[in-house]
Amino acid sequence: MSILNLIKTAFVEIRNNKMRSFLTFFSISIGVISIMYTLTLIYSMNYRTRKAIEISGPGRLNVELKNRWRAQQEGEEVVNDFLTLDDAKSVRRNFPELYMVAPIITKWVRLSDEMFEQFVWVMGVDLEWVKRGWIYKMKGRFINQYDIDNYARVCVLIEKGGWIKKPRWLKFWKWKDRFQEYVKHNDMLGKTIALGNSLYKVVGVLKEPPAEKNPKTFIGFGGWEPNIIVPITTAQRFLSGWSNSAGIEKIYIDTGSPRTIEKYKRMVKQTIKSRHGTKLLFDVKDYREVIKSQLADKQRDMITVLIIGIIAILAGGIGIMNVSLATIYSRIKEIGVRRAVGARQIDIMAQFMVEAMMLGFMGGIAGVIIGFLGIKYLALKGNMDMLMLRWWMSVIAVLAATLTGFAASLYPAKVAARLDPIEALRYE
Amino acid sequence: MLKKMIKCENLTKIYPLKNSRGYPALKNINVDVKRGEFVSICGPSGCGKSTLLNILGFLDIPTKGQYYFKGKNVSGFTDARRSLLRRREVGFVFQSFNLLPRLSALDNVKLPMLYNKTPNREAGEKAINLLRLFNLEKKARNSILELSGGERQRTAMARALANSPDLLLADEPTGNLDSVSSSEIMKELKKLNQKGMTIIMVTHDVNLASMTSRILEMKDGWLRE
Repeated sequence: MSILNLIKTAFVEIRNNKMRSFLTFFSISIGVISIMYTLTLIYSMNYRTRKAIEISGPGRLNVELKNRWRAQQEGEEVVNDFLTLDDAKSVRRNFPELYMVAPIITKWVRLSDEMFEQFVWVMGVDLEWVKRGWIYKMKGRFINQYDIDNYARVCVLIEKGGWIKKPRWLKFWKWKDRFQEYVKHNDMLGKTIALGNSLYKVVGVLKEPPAEKNPKTFIGFGGWEPNIIVPITTAQRFLSGWSNSAGIEKIYIDTGSPRTIEKYKRMVKQTIKSRHGTKLLFDVKDYREVIKSQLADKQRDMITVLIIGIIAILAGGIGIMNVSLATIYSRIKEIGVRRAVGARQIDIMAQFMVEAMMLGFMGGIAGVIIGFLGIKYLALKGNMDMLMLRWWMSVIAVLAATLTGFAASLYPAKVAARLDPIEALRYE
Repeated sequence: MLKKMIKCENLTKIYPLKNSRGYPALKNINVDVKRGEFVSICGPSGCGKSTLLNILGFLDIPTKGQYYFKGKNVSGFTDARRSLLRRREVGFVFQSFNLLPRLSALDNVKLPMLYNKTPNREAGEKAINLLRLFNLEKKARNSILELSGGERQRTAMARALANSPDLLLADEPTGNLDSVSSSEIMKELKKLNQKGMTIIMVTHDVNLASMTSRILEMKDGWLRE
């Protein structure tokens, strides 16, 4: 019997047992929905990780101070010491082969310009900072070595790229970034603005690409982004904040290759330790682990959903098996008739397997439709992960459902095929 | 002129039973059936008529003895090969019609052709022609449940002829029918036989048996002419 005829027969059976078919579809579709959700999350997480590494560099290490409160909890001696610019310089001196050694300092500072006043994040950087994560279109110029050497009070503003086509969920988002509005509506280049107690000249504006094309849009971790960039030395000397004037906050290092991460992690740690003795509480973190820990919550969610999905699809499979077995017992006579008119065992097997696979397939299609709408709804509500839904996820989900049908039908189909045709014909 | 179609040598069928040596349903059956014959097998219930018919129709296998069909020994054939023989060489007509109630008359007739890989359209055309042969073309799209007993049996006969077999096996074909329908069915069988079809019919009705060209009598698993 051709596959088309088998499918036709399967349809007749599915139509004749509407309630039974519906219940099977129902549980299969729950499985399919969770598979789609999980796949979207996995894809999104991989994408974010890949993009984050792409932007921050393949051999990225972050040298950071430890969380003091946590260190205290863990019984470590807390000392009042900081990472310094000289630490960064000595790492650079000791390991000139490193692709990037970028010291960073951030300050929460009041910006004022005529009537405009707003607290903003200001980041002090040196020239190495531009080596990674440069996604900007620049107007004017960036800070240069002269600025750094001379504590120049110059700054570069970062302007967001906006959206080419604003997603619908953002249209309900009433909050507006006042700083961005201010930058957007004023010609900032060459202007003098006040940061804290000093005046700074705006020498450049860095414009991010539109959000759709900005790899940072979908990374979504790392917290806040700075609004203004100043020379690191200037930030240390003039911007008030929590650290003393020598302190810096972090050192971003890129070894240039993931293979050398472990080696430099050890060596950089040693270099800094040797400058501070054992007192300084700091950590050299492999950025990939930082990403991993930031994604851990999502991963937990994903595993939960996946388990629910697997259970649902298994329940669906057991449902199919149950339905198929029940069908066989109610169709023994039919099997006998089919055998009498020339159906081989394999024909009977194929018939029951196609029926079960059709149940899986149709349940899968129903699941994909509901899952697609659900995921789109979540994306509309602002769940960035759900924007990563791809068409092939639906294909995989339907395939999984069909395969479940296939696997669940093996035993019942075998039972059906092995029925003695004479016994089956006599069955009433 | 008449060539041998069926030859059975010492055909024995023993059904295994728990705690005993088994129940012998057929005992050393020796019989030949020539092409174009209309043979009836008579006998009381439980004498082994249906068992013999099932073996002749490749639904069952003998415990002992040889069964030659068109000169080929088919007694040792595998299930798959016997299925192919059932599909191409024989047509069955049963007492209880054995039609699939969820399908229409047309689809029931098409069924053996679809297993024989006849294209769907061709199978449909042939099925309509067969139903026309039995004056059922107007009921082709009807469900089996909407047909009378006689119509159902005629549909079953159309199905039996679907793959143009050489042998028609009828197991009490009139057993569930009233006298009018019975005589109609017998007429149809005779017509088919006149066209050259070999028919073996099982019946316990001596009157019906007398309408066939040859009567075989069965009793307690033994066969005599």
